[in-house]
Amino acid sequence: MPISRRDLLKGAASGGLLLASGLPTSANATMSTKLPPNAVGLLYDATLCIGCKSCVVNCKTKNCEPGGALYQEGMTKPPYETKGPGNSGQWDETQELTGKTLSVIKVYKNGTCQTKDAEVNGYSFFKQQCMHCITPACASVCPGGAFRKDPDNGSVYYIASKCIGCRYCQLACPFGLPRYEWDRAWPEVRKCQLCRHRTTKGGITACAEFCPTGATIFGRVTDLREEAQRRLALKPGDEYQFPIQTVHSRDRQPRKVAKYVPKVYGLTEVGGTQNILLSGVSFEHLGFRPYLKNQALPELTWHYIAKIPWVFAGVFIGGTAIYKITHRKEGDKP
Amino acid sequence: METDAFSAVREQLGGISRRDFIKFCTVLAAGLGLPLGAGEQIAQAVVSARRPPVIWLSFQECTGCVESLLRSNHPSLEHLILDLISLDYSETLSAASGHQAEAAKAASIQENKGKFILVVDGAIPTKDKGIYCKIGGKTALEILNETAPHAGAIIAMGSCASWGGVAAAGSNPTEAKGIPELLPGKKVVTIPGCPPNPYNLLSTVLYYLTFNKLPELDEKGRPKFAYGRIIHENCERRPHFDAGRFAMQFGDEMHRRGGCLYKLGCKGPETYANCPSIGFGETGVGTWPVGVGHPCFGCSEKGVGFNTPLYTLANVKDLTPPVFFSEAFPNTPGVSSGIKSLAMGAGGLVVGAAGAAVLTGMGKKDEGENEKDSSHKEG
Amino acid sequence: MMDLTNYIGPKYNDFVQKLMDDRQTKYLGIKLITPFTLVLVALIAAAVVVALYRLAFGIGAASNLSDAWPWGLWISFDVLGGVCMAAGGFLIAGAVYIMGLEKYHCVARAAILNAFFGYLLAAISICMDIGRSVVIWKALISSQINSIMFIVAIHVVLYTSTLATESSPMFFEKVGWDGARNKVSRCMVGVALFGVLLSLLHQSSLGAVYLIAPGKLSPIWYSQWIPYCFLLSAIMLGLSMVSFETILTGKVWNHPPPRDVLSGLGRGTLIAGILYFALKVYILLDTPGLVNMVFDGGFLGNMYLLEMAVGVVLPIVLLSFKAVRNNIHRLFAVDILVISGVLLNRLNVGIFGVQEFATRSGGDYFPSAMEWTLTLGMIAFAILGFKLCAKYLNLFPQHH
Repeated sequence: MPISRRDLLKGAASGGLLLASGLPTSANATMSTKLPPNAVGLLYDATLCIGCKSCVVNCKTKNCEPGGALYQEGMTKPPYETKGPGNSGQWDETQELTGKTLSVIKVYKNGTCQTKDAEVNGYSFFKQQCMHCITPACASVCPGGAFRKDPDNGSVYYIASKCIGCRYCQLACPFGLPRYEWDRAWPEVRKCQLCRHRTTKGGITACAEFCPTGATIFGRVTDLREEAQRRLALKPGDEYQFPIQTVHSRDRQPRKVAKYVPKVYGLTEVGGTQNILLSGVSFEHLGFRPYLKNQALPELTWHYIAKIPWVFAGVFIGGTAIYKITHRKEGDKP
Repeated sequence: METDAFSAVREQLGGISRRDFIKFCTVLAAGLGLPLGAGEQIAQAVVSARRPPVIWLSFQECTGCVESLLRSNHPSLEHLILDLISLDYSETLSAASGHQAEAAKAASIQENKGKFILVVDGAIPTKDKGIYCKIGGKTALEILNETAPHAGAIIAMGSCASWGGVAAAGSNPTEAKGIPELLPGKKVVTIPGCPPNPYNLLSTVLYYLTFNKLPELDEKGRPKFAYGRIIHENCERRPHFDAGRFAMQFGDEMHRRGGCLYKLGCKGPETYANCPSIGFGETGVGTWPVGVGHPCFGCSEKGVGFNTPLYTLANVKDLTPPVFFSEAFPNTPGVSSGIKSLAMGAGGLVVGAAGAAVLTGMGKKDEGENEKDSSHKEG
Repeated sequence: MMDLTNYIGPKYNDFVQKLMDDRQTKYLGIKLITPFTLVLVALIAAAVVVALYRLAFGIGAASNLSDAWPWGLWISFDVLGGVCMAAGGFLIAGAVYIMGLEKYHCVARAAILNAFFGYLLAAISICMDIGRSVVIWKALISSQINSIMFIVAIHVVLYTSTLATESSPMFFEKVGWDGARNKVSRCMVGVALFGVLLSLLHQSSLGAVYLIAPGKLSPIWYSQWIPYCFLLSAIMLGLSMVSFETILTGKVWNHPPPRDVLSGLGRGTLIAGILYFALKVYILLDTPGLVNMVFDGGFLGNMYLLEMAVGVVLPIVLLSFKAVRNNIHRLFAVDILVISGVLLNRLNVGIFGVQEFATRSGGDYFPSAMEWTLTLGMIAFAILGFKLCAKYLNLFPQHH
């Protein structure tokens, strides 16, 4: 049967609409592979960390303020992890990142655990939280646009009102960091947001502010990278004045430099991250998978998406052609 | 304990009842970590006829350690020196002085060779043959070397005597040294602290008198019952450390609420002592520096006290990660059990369905196989 | 059917009478109240209860999903499996309306309806699986073109509407709305073209969902070609499902299956299978070390070999024989092989292929009873729905 004029127009209109929407507009912060102009982040030095968990406690407390990542209207106290035996809700046993905990200290243990930052018969602490990738996979895959990368300071933040709860971000994140509120009927995805509610007012992240040893420091990513390289260039046993709270802080702590793994994690992995790490034990022991390449992950999907308009065009043209050919022989039989 | 022996000294003990006396000895035994029944032994030793002689030498000291002893209540000082021991020489407490005191010391050493307890407080300068501390015309070094070989037990009281203390601080201009360093090869009990809790000394002395041997000591000569654990492990503010509640400045909110003083430079994490357990001055729980709000400065620990700046962060020593940390990366190999079961199930279903399909379907003959079904015209 | 004029008025009564008139399909011998139907109804009822519980108490309460395992049975089986099982709809519609292969017209209605139910199954499962079901429409308006999920969402919504449009003629015909029916029939070509376009895109997009996770999805399944693998396996499965469902309705109802259609479907499955197999072999050889990984006797290698053997290799071998393609019992057996194999492939990609990341991080997953209930209930819904439509709508038009 012949294509009616009506459905030809219908097909063209909808095809055109989708074609137009398929045109690449990757000039937004989410897909950019460059460090934003005022990119800030954290440098975590595992050799300075003493596992006091001040960062965990203060992260939770400060993010329960209005604008914070854990804030909910009407909350009277921070959300505690209370699932363990004997916990009557009076204390917070943070063991793992969850919908209630944005940052956690974990430990690497080996053998007798005698020597700090030793891979064999030693132990090391590890601060786990969102890495704030330069090209975040979570933001690129979110169908609702709930995860956004700030074009100025680069923090990857969350807009709950846009979230549909599909958890694609959990699959996409190469570090497995976004966590979900499984136990709520109206759940949110939770992860560190670099204390946006404090940094936009000129402050620094809570974890950096309350870290007593300077294991976590806040600053511009370019400065943090320099500081990290500076530390790697020192000899183990040298004394160094480690800054506390921020990378340019005057408040310093004299300490002997430990033996680092000669690598700063986060310079290039998955296209680079704004939070970088130094450690005395290999990063694999801390859970960073060795197979992660230096390519920004959203590019892998974009290769496919960029082809979609061509598919539209191809099928539309090809299909119409086939139809014409197969139906020309039959004349105008309905 | 024989009734006669006790009644003989009852008067001297201030009329204390036998029951109370045994109670005191039991409490003391408990403080030493000794088993039940040891109290009796101690009581026996105390009321035995002869009071054991003690010679107390003082060198580069501030007298703080003696002052600390003066603050003990059980036994009170007068009971101690009048009834329990024979303090044959003490520069602070002797009524006599000068040649009389020195003569009494020489006589006691002569009489009690191999039996007296030598307690030393203060460090000994060694520069220029030790002339920077002289008593009665003799250098401290000479006095020590005259006295120590004849002692039954040597106890270094206080940090100065144990490892040099404040006397050896900074550039150590007099080359002050602790007693163990000057008596190599001899067993010296050290009771470090500035000052140490007097009961650490008293318990050690009474233990020796009771059992005729010294309590278990660590490699630095410190009795393990008092110096076996770091302060950080016994501190009443440890939960605040574990939960990250730190005082950031003197007088801030967390300081007023009793938060952990690590950030203010507390050296508890690298200092061995029992201060949080027994406190000072017997006025209740929390009567020790951290308890009243000032960080510990590691007074008993060589290399920490009088060495590391007061408000510098401590090296957290021997921190075995408590079980409250979860593993950074369990790296569990293989396949988890739930997934394995699911895979077995799914795989089994597939194999089963496939097998059943092939076995039942492939052999069947289809009657209409070669018929062309013509009723499929467009409708 | 009793006269409801007194309750709902003559116009609506007329509508209901026409809808519920099953004289046309009496020859099929469909009995509504059978033990099997009762089981289906029970499953659907249980699934409704689970759905309400899940809406009230959250996903964590109803499933064993966790942060280590954010996607499980509902995504892998209901959504991935449901969508690929429904691929038959666009293939038959394309064959009939675009390519003019009229011999498939007799299975078109059933295939399209089947696809419609498949998509309803997938769409409802997605709504159940996401945490904030009522705001699912937000995914459609966000213009997040970087996100495959956004593309999939738009396509699924459009395609379900397309399928509804393609299914509507039999409904309009039943209730006598000839004007509507004519309008739709005239657009059928355009609609079918649109449907082909959308289907090609989102069958492959479901594979593209995993492009972002190169380390998490095992290299045995992960490659840049995964969208095409999904598409080709969906075509295989779609054609097999149409064949399976045609033969099955022939077995349980009095509906003689059209043999040349079936052998044509068999040929189509064979061609799709050969292409799919060729692509898989290319991927195996092109990725260094992959051959060793697949044949090393490990868990994932074995699952892959099982899926390929049952779903691809064996069917290709069997279908290459005319004696198989012309024998409906043998075709039925091969259809079962393809269905099991391709569904296993979706489970492999969705669950087993991503297990290593989760296991090494200390996680574990086995679907909860409620997850099974909802899945089975959704399948029961599709089957019962199809049965009801077969009874009350004219699914097999050549027999009037």
